[in-house]
Amino acid sequence: MDMKGEYRIPAPRQKVWEALNDPQILKACIPGCDSLEKTGENEMAAAVTTKVGPVKAKFKGEVKFENINAPESYTIVGEGKGGVAGFAKGGADVHLADAGEETVLTYEAHAQVGGKLAQLGSRLIDSTARKMADEFFGNFSQSLGGAGAGATSQEVMGEGEHSIAGATADAENAMEDAVRDAEERLEVEAGKGTFGGPMVWGLIGLAVLIVIILIANM
Amino acid sequence: MGVDGIGARVPRKEDKRFITGKGRYTDDMTLPRMGFVAFVRSPYAHAKIQNIDASAAMEMPGVDAVLRGDELVADGIGNLICGWMIHSKDGTPMKMGAWSALATDTVRFVGQAVAMVVADTYAQARDAAEAVMVDWEELPAVTTTAEALAPGAPQIHPECAGNLIYDWEIGDQAATDAAIENAAHVTKIDITNNRLVPNPMEPRAAVADYDGAEEHFTLWTTSQNPHTARLVLSAFYNIAPEHKLRVIAPDVGGGFGSKIYVYPEEVACLWAAKKVGRPVKWVSDRTEAFLTDAHGRDHTTTAELAFDADNRITGFRVNTTANLGAYMSLFSSAVPTYLYATLLSGQYAMPAIYANVKTVYTNTTPVDAYRGAGRPEATYVVERIMEVAARELGLDPIELRRKNFVTEFPHQTPVIMCYDAGDYDASVRAAQDAIDYAGFPARKAEAASRGKLRGIGVSCYIEACGIAPSKAVGSLGAGVGLWESAEVRVNPVGTIEVLTGSHSHGQGHETTFAQLVAERLGVGIDTVQIVHGDTDKVQFGMGTYGSRSGAVGMSAISKALDKVEAKAKKIAAHLMEAAETDIVVEGGAFKVAGTDKQLSMTEVALAAYTAHNLPDGMEPGLKEGAFYDPTNFTFPAGCYICEVEIDPDTGKTEVVNFVAADDFGRIINPMIVEGQVHGGLAQGIGQALLEGCVYDADSGQLTTASFQDYCMPRADDLPSFKVMTTETICPGNPLGIKGCGEAGAIGSPPALINALTDALGTEDLSMPATAEKVWRLAQAARAPMAAE
Repeated sequence: MDMKGEYRIPAPRQKVWEALNDPQILKACIPGCDSLEKTGENEMAAAVTTKVGPVKAKFKGEVKFENINAPESYTIVGEGKGGVAGFAKGGADVHLADAGEETVLTYEAHAQVGGKLAQLGSRLIDSTARKMADEFFGNFSQSLGGAGAGATSQEVMGEGEHSIAGATADAENAMEDAVRDAEERLEVEAGKGTFGGPMVWGLIGLAVLIVIILIANM
Repeated sequence: MGVDGIGARVPRKEDKRFITGKGRYTDDMTLPRMGFVAFVRSPYAHAKIQNIDASAAMEMPGVDAVLRGDELVADGIGNLICGWMIHSKDGTPMKMGAWSALATDTVRFVGQAVAMVVADTYAQARDAAEAVMVDWEELPAVTTTAEALAPGAPQIHPECAGNLIYDWEIGDQAATDAAIENAAHVTKIDITNNRLVPNPMEPRAAVADYDGAEEHFTLWTTSQNPHTARLVLSAFYNIAPEHKLRVIAPDVGGGFGSKIYVYPEEVACLWAAKKVGRPVKWVSDRTEAFLTDAHGRDHTTTAELAFDADNRITGFRVNTTANLGAYMSLFSSAVPTYLYATLLSGQYAMPAIYANVKTVYTNTTPVDAYRGAGRPEATYVVERIMEVAARELGLDPIELRRKNFVTEFPHQTPVIMCYDAGDYDASVRAAQDAIDYAGFPARKAEAASRGKLRGIGVSCYIEACGIAPSKAVGSLGAGVGLWESAEVRVNPVGTIEVLTGSHSHGQGHETTFAQLVAERLGVGIDTVQIVHGDTDKVQFGMGTYGSRSGAVGMSAISKALDKVEAKAKKIAAHLMEAAETDIVVEGGAFKVAGTDKQLSMTEVALAAYTAHNLPDGMEPGLKEGAFYDPTNFTFPAGCYICEVEIDPDTGKTEVVNFVAADDFGRIINPMIVEGQVHGGLAQGIGQALLEGCVYDADSGQLTTASFQDYCMPRADDLPSFKVMTTETICPGNPLGIKGCGEAGAIGSPPALINALTDALGTEDLSMPATAEKVWRLAQAARAPMAAE
């Protein structure tokens, strides 16, 4: 599946790039982030506790960054598998463009999910993930001195299809062992379903991935 | 007809327990020391299993064992088989890939089981199954037949190069080609029959027990045919010899075909019960059902129908590719061949037919028979192309059909089947009248005045039930005979038990079979008990599918009743010192015709068992068995007409009127028949409008794996059906029955799509005709109007 998205951040590009490289800022901005650290030159790992509907769970994510072209663009890739939520793998190209005093972040992602993420999560993933991503960029903009509402997302795709981020990371239920990265697409359809069980784990996993991919440093 | 006899609208005896929650299903079985099973399933559509690490799972509370495929194979458990041999047109046998109940080295669809956990509770088993760590090496996957047949496609089974299982043909190719070449008009369509998930209300389940002292297994399972299950489990999967294996299918909450087959889970549970030394239970959850219950349909077809200048059909050429999924399920090979292409003549006189069917492996859930099994696919092709042809020829679709109807019987089609009886025009007339066909243009105009698009569609289906003459199916590759057996036991007090090899999982046999006894012996149905579903009680039987239980199962009961009646008459004649030929059975009594002498059933039965005064040489007792092997298929047929109204602003389709006029031969219980038709129509309308499996093309993931994403029809999606019957008696069985279980699902999808395409003015509409698809077409239809 292929996804696109765009955010406008009220800060100059160089500043955005630097902030995206600062684990402390990222940690503060990711909703529910317990830890975030660089694990290598171009690698990051995060642990996030998040809550969707009635379920609260803890996830881990790991991603790698390639094709780094500061302060303009990079590619993010990841692959994970195992555990309750299934598996996910994917990649995304992230681009920062000057827009006067602001920066426009765009991404194009390709991702695959499997197991319960695919079987149960398809319908609800998009809106949940987008909400988390919006929250992240709201925090992020604020941390760069902008107003909380300054980060605005735009749908880039036509025909009523929602954009979405993609990424990698590792989702893991608190008691379980790693699920790496993931994320997901999806037609937003007012899902009639209720939240519960593995579906929610999947959603959370995806949401985290999206945040991480977008965050992702360079 | 008696009060409870044939033709009586008797409420179902079994409903008391069902509607009061007193049914006994497999999941209701609890045995001492019973462990619970959860399966570890593949999240990949195609992958190598590098390693299975159960160490963490084994440490978890309550966990008894984690069992793997290599252990199962080492214990000699056989691979799952397909029981119907099909040969390709070049004479080579179908190419069946090995299917172990637990995968050993490769998984080929999402959800395939690779290991099983046995634990003290269900929750512990599930938790532990999630802790079993499998190292996978993902392989490329394909989900569609076109991709699977393409050069360079991933190879799914080493036994099946190119993923082509067989390339089969039927009919006369040269004559058909010539007819198409010389035709005055040829209508051609490309058509897809969508993949469906059966979704019976009760998911599959198994409880397995092993008695080490007797070396005897017992399996409670959700089966439509427990004897066939025992046969296959014994003969092919090496669980135990038949006399050491009892299979019980208690109350079963729907099957629709999906519970015909022996699945990996039941095999594994039997094996595990012995392996771990305790009874085990497995109950499928709903997503497991989506992933592992055999799916239905999934055909792509190109069809060409040739007409002469007088609009009579001269030839029909059909090319179909059928997706059988990752493994060949028990009857999968027969569905797109002998259950499909043999019905391509429809209700029409066709001089020449040729069909070529290819079946293909893909990385998807195995596909097998689902309510209708081949006949819905045939009907969809035939009835769509007839409708399209009528539109192309500028004819009323009913008139084109009528012109080509078979009107003389028996009628031999070019594709094996010999139709024995029918009156197709009668069902068309009944349906036309009921829907006020002539008044449609006015209703369409009225709908247009409200901004709605209204369309009408016809479907004249024929199907083959009463499977099947054993010799005939044997010659076509079936691994079993398809007769049925019955035993009628009259107890000393005169009550009656009927043991049948049919299995009831919603069809109402406990009522209809008792009605047959009531009709024959004049007793009330409350004195008759129907016994089925247990290999220890019923000697053998072929089970229930293909609408066979009336035509075949009841015929066996009828034969056994003949024997009981004959013996009882001898006893009665002897006791009343009358001639045997003067004894008549009436109102539950044996009477000497023309006199007031009579003996009740109880008196005759008691005499049979006391044996104090029986005719010389007669054995005591009153119990008779019979086997019935049909002489032909039966051919239910009918006419369905559907009227839809589309809201072009939302794409919402409302089925405003649906009429079903069916010829099922003789009807035992009209209320049960109507229930079967209603259910079938709901499933057919579900297929046409709502249901459809979606696999992610890249990854082979099933993205419609719950009721959140797979849309089942609900009451508010359906109209109040008008159902009626016309009757021609089936000459092929003693009761004149044809069968009614699948007709609704067979005949309705083309009626829906014909109505929608009529409303939309385009043929480019595939099933399921979701609101989105319909909306897009409605917008396109509107665009030229707006431009004017």
